Amino acid sequence: MFVLIAVLGASAAAWAGAQYASRALTDSSQQQHADALVAQVTAAAPTVEYPPSRDALDQLRAAVGPHALAVYQDAQSASGIFIAQDGLITSDLRDAVANATAPGGTFTQRVMVEDTPWVVIGAPVMLTAPDGTRSPSGVEVYRAQDLSPVDADIDALTRAAIGTSALVLPVAVLLALLASRTVLAPVRRLRTTARRLADGDLNARTHPRGVDELAQLTSTVNEMAESLQQSMVSMARIQDDARRFAADVSHELRTPLSTLTAAVEVLDDAFQHRSAPHPGTDASTSTDTDAAQESARMALVETRRLVRLVEDIMEIARFDAGTAAMRLEPTDLLALARDCVRSRGWTQDVTLTSPEGADLVVQADRRRLDVVLANLVGNARRHGAPPVRIAFSAAPDAVEVTVADSGPGIGEDVLPRIFTRFYKADAARTRSHGSGLGLAIAWENTALHGGSLTAANTPDGGAQFTMWLPRAGSTPEGEER
Amino acid sequence: MTRWLRHVALLVALAGVGSCAVQPSPVEQGPQAPTGLAPGVTLYFLDDGDLVPQERQTRRLGSMQEAVSLLLTGPGGSGLATGIAEVAVHTTHVTVGEDVIDVRLPLPTGDVTSDGVDQIVCTVLATHVQAGGSPEMQVRLTFTDVPATNSNPLTEPRTCPLL
Amino acid sequence: MTSVLLIEDDPLVRRSLELALGRYGYTMITAATGENGLSRFTEEAPDIVVLDLMLPGIDGFEVCRRLRLDSQAPIIMLTARTDDLDVVGGLEAGADDYVVKPVQPAVLDARIRAVLRRAVSDLDGVRSHGSLRIDTESLTVTLGGAPVPMTPTELRLLLTLSRSPGRVFSRQQLLEEVWGHGYLGDSRLVDNGIMRLRAKIEDDPAHPEYVQTVRGFGYRFGPV
Repeated sequence: MFVLIAVLGASAAAWAGAQYASRALTDSSQQQHADALVAQVTAAAPTVEYPPSRDALDQLRAAVGPHALAVYQDAQSASGIFIAQDGLITSDLRDAVANATAPGGTFTQRVMVEDTPWVVIGAPVMLTAPDGTRSPSGVEVYRAQDLSPVDADIDALTRAAIGTSALVLPVAVLLALLASRTVLAPVRRLRTTARRLADGDLNARTHPRGVDELAQLTSTVNEMAESLQQSMVSMARIQDDARRFAADVSHELRTPLSTLTAAVEVLDDAFQHRSAPHPGTDASTSTDTDAAQESARMALVETRRLVRLVEDIMEIARFDAGTAAMRLEPTDLLALARDCVRSRGWTQDVTLTSPEGADLVVQADRRRLDVVLANLVGNARRHGAPPVRIAFSAAPDAVEVTVADSGPGIGEDVLPRIFTRFYKADAARTRSHGSGLGLAIAWENTALHGGSLTAANTPDGGAQFTMWLPRAGSTPEGEER
Repeated sequence: MTRWLRHVALLVALAGVGSCAVQPSPVEQGPQAPTGLAPGVTLYFLDDGDLVPQERQTRRLGSMQEAVSLLLTGPGGSGLATGIAEVAVHTTHVTVGEDVIDVRLPLPTGDVTSDGVDQIVCTVLATHVQAGGSPEMQVRLTFTDVPATNSNPLTEPRTCPLL
Repeated sequence: MTSVLLIEDDPLVRRSLELALGRYGYTMITAATGENGLSRFTEEAPDIVVLDLMLPGIDGFEVCRRLRLDSQAPIIMLTARTDDLDVVGGLEAGADDYVVKPVQPAVLDARIRAVLRRAVSDLDGVRSHGSLRIDTESLTVTLGGAPVPMTPTELRLLLTLSRSPGRVFSRQQLLEEVWGHGYLGDSRLVDNGIMRLRAKIEDDPAHPEYVQTVRGFGYRFGPV
């Protein structure tokens, strides 16, 4: 910054200098030409007839220079550029000259003629009485002068300015750098620290030097980093605690849920059996019994839901904690899928297709892949529509399994979040179904194998999940977990 | 740092390319207008002892030398008198100095009266002024019989009593 | 009447399961500790043991091992977790099956009945394979003339495999046929059952003669 300012300053000075010089050069050149006109006309005038004849005008004009014009009433005498260029004298200039009153003055104007700068000087020639009073003579003279040489001079001057600047600037930069090294280096160090902090290096600190505001600022930044670091540490601890808490809570829930599960089943069962063998009970008792029975049924259903939820949360907690154990074995995916479908009684709704003689064996945790497939097929049956198609394709180092349904597909807004925990596409319908963790668990299980699980819609509109599994099984990251 | 150097280069380039060249302008006032035109020359004669101007239609102002030479030829048939004796030679030399115009007359002091001296001084100054010269100018006359020194009242720089 | 020994330390869980299983017609014997459970087992000689793994004092694994020393009675573990070493440890200690808490009494009932199921008496008499002799009527196994004590699960596994020598059974098929698992079977049950079976009938379990592993698919009975 310092350097920039120095450079700006030097450059501005050079520029202003050049500007001023060029203006002065132009003005003086103009002045010089105007003076020359006055001198030449004044010198010539006493020898020129008045009122001027044609010859007299020629004489005046000749006295003025190569590019000259002398006018008297309707007569005029022109030479040089005044012959070539009609519009050289602007109406402004002509008016100024024509309307000049005593004592009279000259008028100049710079014009561009075909990219060449010219100055045009016009003057009325005055009559002077012996006592010095002046009056217009009606004769006007004009003189034009090419300013290109002036331009060239200016260019030279500018070049000189640039040259000087170029010589001086490095020195200025050097000085500025030296200044910045001493003044700005602490700021730069502080900035680097702030950048490192922003990038997550919470150990970044700047040693404060001196006692000025900068040192105070440095101390403040250090303090900020300190408290940031502490909150990050405690945040990590809280996160750890939260994970452990989820696992612990779920685990602790198992015992009361065990009792509850057994108890509500007894309750429900008892009502199921009692309602039939006592047809003779009175209406109020019957209503009471019906209400109790319905309540027992609800308790049973909800308890089972609760159990499933706890199971899924436990599973997720294990993924998060990295304690999900993998049990890899050579697994034929077609056989696995067939078993998965058959054991759940879904054979009617699901078709399996695989390329003839394809090798579909991968290193995998059978139980986990079973969970993945069951979740995908279950999801397809719930939210999509049968038939559900499971298809396989084999590559040398991986196997791909797609599960597609014939339903309405997944909404574009839902797709990006389909694997999000507890994300339910249709809140109204999911109450009686899964925990909202099924697809998240499927995704985690696939990732554990070093594979990927993606969701999309088929051209026909159905939802399609694609599980890609490397044959080698889990990646190093997967094995860590 | 390279970024700054680029800025520098840019500024220098701007200064170079920028508006230093001659640009068109509006009409600007210059020095005082020229003068010097005149339908004739003004000579000074004596009218009953008084100095009076007489304009001669020479169609141009002419030089001071010409004016003095014309003055030496006399008032002609105008009825005016002159304080300068008739001479055969009318050639005079006029030299314009810094604040004095030296006029060397082809006459001895005895051929010019004091009024005649004023006639010459006024004629020289009038022409000088008409030609754009300064009215503050003084005129010093030199005669054929007196060296030009400041001690002689005749040869002191003078001004025209009329102007 | 089938008698069930339930060893569970939590009184409410124990009582609720006792009540629930009682409705399925089981005679319930309960114990709150491992030591108590072992003594009740000796006293009552139950048909099956349902055993919580997390017990104060002697834990479930130890109880399991001690029971297996001189008993082929089926053991079903109650475990709090599915994924960790509990299951493997329990199976290695000799449990036939496991259920995860909280368990639905209906599911537990089904498991108990499945495990207790007598192997189907095939009418093809005696199957002889090398020195292994399987009497499908008396449901006894001898190896080189010596009787091999087997749990009902091991016996069902051997009978299922040997019924169709050379046929490959997937783990899921074996889970369904031998363990009676309807779905989400844990193939570790099969692998552990095979391991225990091999330990009893194979000369060198590392190079099995009778029960072969078919990589990626499952198991089959018969020479390599």
